[in-house]
Amino acid sequence: MSSMKRITGAIFQAAAVIVISVAVSFIHNALSSNGIDPFRKIDQVPVVDDSADFGADGIRIITLEKLKEVIDSGGVVIDSRSAAEYRNGHIPGAVLLDYYEFGRQMDNVIPLLDFEEEFAIYCSGPLCEDSSMLARELYTLGYRKILVFKGGVERWEEEGLPLAAGGI
Amino acid sequence: MNNVFLSEYLFESAPSLELDNTGREKRSWIKDPIVILVIRLILASVFIYAATQKIGKPLLFADEIRMYGILTGGPLLYIISIVLPWMEIFCGLSLISGIFMRGAALILAVFNLAFIFVISFRSVLIIRNEGTPFMSIFFDCGCGFGATYAWKKLIEDALLLAGAVLIFAAPPYRFVFYPRRKRREL
Repeated sequence: MSSMKRITGAIFQAAAVIVISVAVSFIHNALSSNGIDPFRKIDQVPVVDDSADFGADGIRIITLEKLKEVIDSGGVVIDSRSAAEYRNGHIPGAVLLDYYEFGRQMDNVIPLLDFEEEFAIYCSGPLCEDSSMLARELYTLGYRKILVFKGGVERWEEEGLPLAAGGI
Repeated sequence: MNNVFLSEYLFESAPSLELDNTGREKRSWIKDPIVILVIRLILASVFIYAATQKIGKPLLFADEIRMYGILTGGPLLYIISIVLPWMEIFCGLSLISGIFMRGAALILAVFNLAFIFVISFRSVLIIRNEGTPFMSIFFDCGCGFGATYAWKKLIEDALLLAGAVLIFAAPPYRFVFYPRRKRREL
């Protein structure tokens, strides 16, 4: 077989692998509960402004100052990242509830939550979406005082605040 | 090569052997089918394991891709986060089975080149913005193996790239799970 034919053959084969992968991945994405719309807009969470009112949507984006208030008043803070990330360093006092492990980990967190009390959720930083996705999930369970700290661990570290390691 | 069918491109035939002047087969150890098979199995297990860590978690993977600061939103980001893990799976299966093996090796070579490029890009950004020495740069590349030093990841990806190139350049065999040696009828 000439080398030219081998290279052309490899390109044909690669195209075949790509077509199969794209087809299977989109089918899987459509059927999976974690599937997403690739044309989605980032953060489709209803966002109420940073003022005191939760409005009808029940989810509010908060600043670091507000997060500190929640922690000081003994409110629950939820880390929506993975267990490994949580172990490496989380905001002190935060409990783990990985958005992708919701079914398995919710039993540890749900008893801590009160429908009448504010609680805060964060993930790695301003660009991550896990905290917003988890907020939506909790919203469907009836919670209406959900605070999302968009700055996440990144903002927390920027302020020179300490992280706690281990915990689970 | 007057009549070349698509199937001939997709499924390769057994090789004709090159003989040296003593009548022995000319082939360096690096082209030995057993060596190539071992490389195939290593690459396949690395990529299949990596894929299982992120398959079905497109948002999580999208976040990890975003961290590179190259692609921060839009359909392309989400399409990559949906498709890439499956491509790793199928390339891995292809390397194991030998079906479309050369095409899979080509894809993995391109992937590893891209990984090396984006990891270097992110490292340069970190050096410029935070002044971290190169050897101390530590982040989760989103590859599926957790956070590690960037220099380790670059060496790893360079080795995987070399493996993919060797598989690509290996003498043609058809459907090999266990490599066969078949002399072509003259």
